Amino acid sequence: MLDASKMKLVEELVTSSQTEELIWLNGYITGLLAGKKGLEQPALAAVQSKPSVNKITIAFGTETGNSKKLASLFAAKAKKVGINAKMADLNQYRLNDLQKEEYFIAIVSTHGDGEPPAAAKKFFDHIHANGSKLEKMNYGVLALGDTSYPLFCKAGEQVDLQLSKMGAQRLVPLQKCDTDFEADAEAWFDGVLKQLTTASGSAVPAVVTTAAKKSTGKKIYNGTVLASVNLNDRGSNKETFHIEIEAEGVEYLPGDALGVVPGNPQHKVEAIIKLLELDADKKYTFRNDEYTAFDLLKKKLEIVYLPERVVNAYASLVSQDIPATRISLLDLLKIYPLKNSDHFEQLIGILEPIAPRLYSISSSPEAHSGEVHITVARDKFSVNDELKYGLCSNFLAQFEVGQEVQFYIHKNSQFRLPADDKDVIMIGPGTGIAPFRSFIAHRDATGSNGKNWLFFGDQHFVTDFLYQTEIQNWVETGSLSKIDLAFSRDQEEKIYVQHKLKKKGKEVFDWLQSGATVYVCGTKEPMSIDVENALAEIIQTHGNKKETEALEFINELKSEGRYLKDVY
Amino acid sequence: MSDTNQNLSSVERIKIASNGLRGTIKESVADELTGSIPEEDANLFKFHGMYQQDDRDRREERAQKKLERLYSFMIRLRLPGGFMTPEQWLATHDIAGKNSTGVIKITTRQTIQLHGLLKRKIKPTIQAFNLAKLDSIATCGDVNRNVICAAHPKLSPVHAQIFAYADKISEALKPKTRAYYEIWLDEEKLSEKTEEDPLYQARYLPRKFKIGIGIPPNNDVDVLINDLALIAIVENDELKGFNIAVGGGLSSTHGNPEHYSRLATVLGFTDTEEKTMKVIYEVLTVQRDFGDRSDRKKARVKYTIDRLGADVFKKEVEKRVGFQLEEARPFEFNDRKDLYGWEQNHEGLWYYTVFLENGRVLDHEDVKLKTAFYEIAKTGKANFRFTCNQNLILSDIADKDKKKIETILKKYGVIDHTNNASPVRKNSIACVALNTCPLALAEAQRYLPSLISKIEPLLEKYGLQDEEIIIRMTGCPNGCGRSSNSEIGFIGTALGHYNLHIGGDHLGLRLNRKFKENLNEEAILKELDFLFGEFKDKRKAGESFGDFSNRLFSELAVQDEPILQ
Repeated sequence: MLDASKMKLVEELVTSSQTEELIWLNGYITGLLAGKKGLEQPALAAVQSKPSVNKITIAFGTETGNSKKLASLFAAKAKKVGINAKMADLNQYRLNDLQKEEYFIAIVSTHGDGEPPAAAKKFFDHIHANGSKLEKMNYGVLALGDTSYPLFCKAGEQVDLQLSKMGAQRLVPLQKCDTDFEADAEAWFDGVLKQLTTASGSAVPAVVTTAAKKSTGKKIYNGTVLASVNLNDRGSNKETFHIEIEAEGVEYLPGDALGVVPGNPQHKVEAIIKLLELDADKKYTFRNDEYTAFDLLKKKLEIVYLPERVVNAYASLVSQDIPATRISLLDLLKIYPLKNSDHFEQLIGILEPIAPRLYSISSSPEAHSGEVHITVARDKFSVNDELKYGLCSNFLAQFEVGQEVQFYIHKNSQFRLPADDKDVIMIGPGTGIAPFRSFIAHRDATGSNGKNWLFFGDQHFVTDFLYQTEIQNWVETGSLSKIDLAFSRDQEEKIYVQHKLKKKGKEVFDWLQSGATVYVCGTKEPMSIDVENALAEIIQTHGNKKETEALEFINELKSEGRYLKDVY
Repeated sequence: MSDTNQNLSSVERIKIASNGLRGTIKESVADELTGSIPEEDANLFKFHGMYQQDDRDRREERAQKKLERLYSFMIRLRLPGGFMTPEQWLATHDIAGKNSTGVIKITTRQTIQLHGLLKRKIKPTIQAFNLAKLDSIATCGDVNRNVICAAHPKLSPVHAQIFAYADKISEALKPKTRAYYEIWLDEEKLSEKTEEDPLYQARYLPRKFKIGIGIPPNNDVDVLINDLALIAIVENDELKGFNIAVGGGLSSTHGNPEHYSRLATVLGFTDTEEKTMKVIYEVLTVQRDFGDRSDRKKARVKYTIDRLGADVFKKEVEKRVGFQLEEARPFEFNDRKDLYGWEQNHEGLWYYTVFLENGRVLDHEDVKLKTAFYEIAKTGKANFRFTCNQNLILSDIADKDKKKIETILKKYGVIDHTNNASPVRKNSIACVALNTCPLALAEAQRYLPSLISKIEPLLEKYGLQDEEIIIRMTGCPNGCGRSSNSEIGFIGTALGHYNLHIGGDHLGLRLNRKFKENLNEEAILKELDFLFGEFKDKRKAGESFGDFSNRLFSELAVQDEPILQ
């Protein structure tokens, strides 16, 4: 049936694949065929027959709140068709219950370099380590991710694969969703419900449905750098750049982030071109688009810090033993040279695109019309006593006034100001100040009458008080009702925002009681954990509650959308 | 009592409303949002011995970084007569290292200043000083400031007796408010009522008040530049009493002839301690009641005495003390300098005067002044005295300990440093000026050393390198560096530009006059080249540069040009 060249490809594929991969392929092709026949689902209302399943579990591991929001939506939908859906936060899920599950829907997002959200980490480790069988289980996985990242929806993929390996039956194919996930997710869940209401119990192959790339996807803006200034004074241990970008028609809301793909350092790109004796202008194809060798290395490919999986792939390419480590492409090429530069195309095949970086926007469209500001800490670290900078923060730190920059707006609907008359408590040490500069500027510009309380901290008052004069002006004009500061290294004992929070515990609790929303932005660990512990302590002390009641109180705040985090 | 007090200046209102110099200092210090304090409290801060300053070099850059000015505070100690025990020096050394820039600055009023104190370091600093029995009460502000006294015990066998007056005067004229103790030392407030202060009342003095005690024949303290000068009259090694002079002060304003430098006018003589102390007290009350409280630029006692007339002023004092001043006794000054190197007093105790350029104690590459003094203080064998020329005297050293002290001085290069400095450098003074003084128009202490390095070869060119010419520089016309009564005075007009004054006498008894204005360095050196040449050719035998240039002044008939804006 197949011609010789196609047959050869199939044979190559089959011989080079492991059993697990072949099983996957089998499912994949079946799924494709199903897709070709047309996957349009009949409207749900039309299939209102008596459900054959009356209980399901919808588990979610949430980072930004998106998974949880979907879980609630799904549960509501399920109830409408008479299926009792139990929501389970993977953070609190009893792992032993897994074996008892019959119908299990998991919503899993992917973060950073293919990682599951922190809340799902225990669950993730459990299904990877545990040899137990999940014979009763029928499952479906909805994976949330961002196509800008190399390992799109990786965590969801792994959960799907792992549950299958443990013997669970796939109800529906894995659905991968991009940042505008809502419509795809709903359609998928409608499919799940259809399966459940007509359940036959037969396994569904592992068809992966990926949201089609929409032409309306992320809008890329071309901006111009208006200003870039290091906010830290001489003598500081830190460098925090305040960068102002002008971009016509840019649309965003306070709380959103700016996404930018950093370019690679010029000297590294040139060194690779020289080493491989490449023609810088020769065109190559990478993931369906054509680029010159130079542009590819400068703007598209991650070359600064290769992940282990790329290093492993490279090891097979050059048939050498290479220790599993993270390394730059240039070093890799120097130590384990390519056999000849013709292999460059194969090299491109295993390299990954540079992941975009997100920075909380520190401006407000109301206060800084036509501009986007970001607040970027230059990431410094030392490798073998040599000072190194993070790729993107260094890329941004070197911005010059007038320079062109491409970026997109990453919506963060989970981190929004409340109604104008509501009070807010903002806890944002270090670069965590960014969205709060946006919030305060916004409320200042719109003349909202809710009260604003800022907790800020850093190392030293003299050198590290980010946006000090602006904050002083806001206090002066009353736009900032209260401010508390924690400079950790200005005295012998370290003082952090959580200490200041506890010091003002009574008042914090009063604000919470009268409906204030708490926002936390900055490092996830240890800051956001310490802050949450401090909040729990405050609620216990000033609300006269037991520990469990305090946690309950916090959970209520979360579910009311009054305790929001943007942490990294 | 005075008819000039119709429109009180804003500082007057702040003082009266301050509840005994308390104001809202506690709250302002606790405010974490800013490193500064509001103006009202900044005015009161001075009475507690501190000035709010900011690094003027850094203003622009910090504004770009959205950071406020780099505020800090200067704290000035109350050290009557400029004396410290070795324990107190050790404490000061540690405090300076921990809380301020590390540099210990000896001032022209015999005390110590630490700069660069951040707001949150103030309280720990004052508490640490307090443990060492040191305070900063009334070292700035409209009160009697640190009382100065001829520094070197070798100057007179009755030096100790005269020196004791500095402390007595300081105590007698200290404000009665407990504000300092409450705010900085957590003393409990005993009553809601503000303390009665019969001397200062609620309004304090119209302006600062400086008292100096001189012991002829050395005028090392520049006694007549004080608001109140006491000139010790010693006969046959016995203290007979003091001539009392009122109305000195060196500040002036560019372009305003109504603001001028003035030397104190001798009013009379008192013999007993009781009488002397009474007169001192009542000079202050007369100034309190008659001084100008509407224009701070005309509020010093020098203007009061000129307005009232010296006779009227004297009569008012006599009325208040209830006796008449005796006729002033004759006295003579024949020098104005520090006695560098080793000296021995009448009791056989040893003294080593160290040359400190502009009073700055710090470790340099080759001269480790700060380390040397620290080591010496640790031996406990020497007291520390400070001179009005911003030098330091290691004092009261027993014969048996002299070697030990000398070994340390040698080890850290202090002796070579003192010996090798040229006479002109040793006789120079510069005020602080940029980058911290808010009044400065031009550099002073950061610039004078390098200018002197360029003046030295000029002097050598004319064989004048051994002349003890007194050169002083101030960054503005307010006179902290006492340039008005130097032989060569520089007064800053703008960055890099100075008025050149000459004609002051060597003894500090005649003020200098403006010779050329607004000179840059090149012009300064050209003028000095000319003046030194004339001096070499035309001086009379034994004539000082000051006297010569005064004569030359008249001969050249320099036109008194209008002063710059």
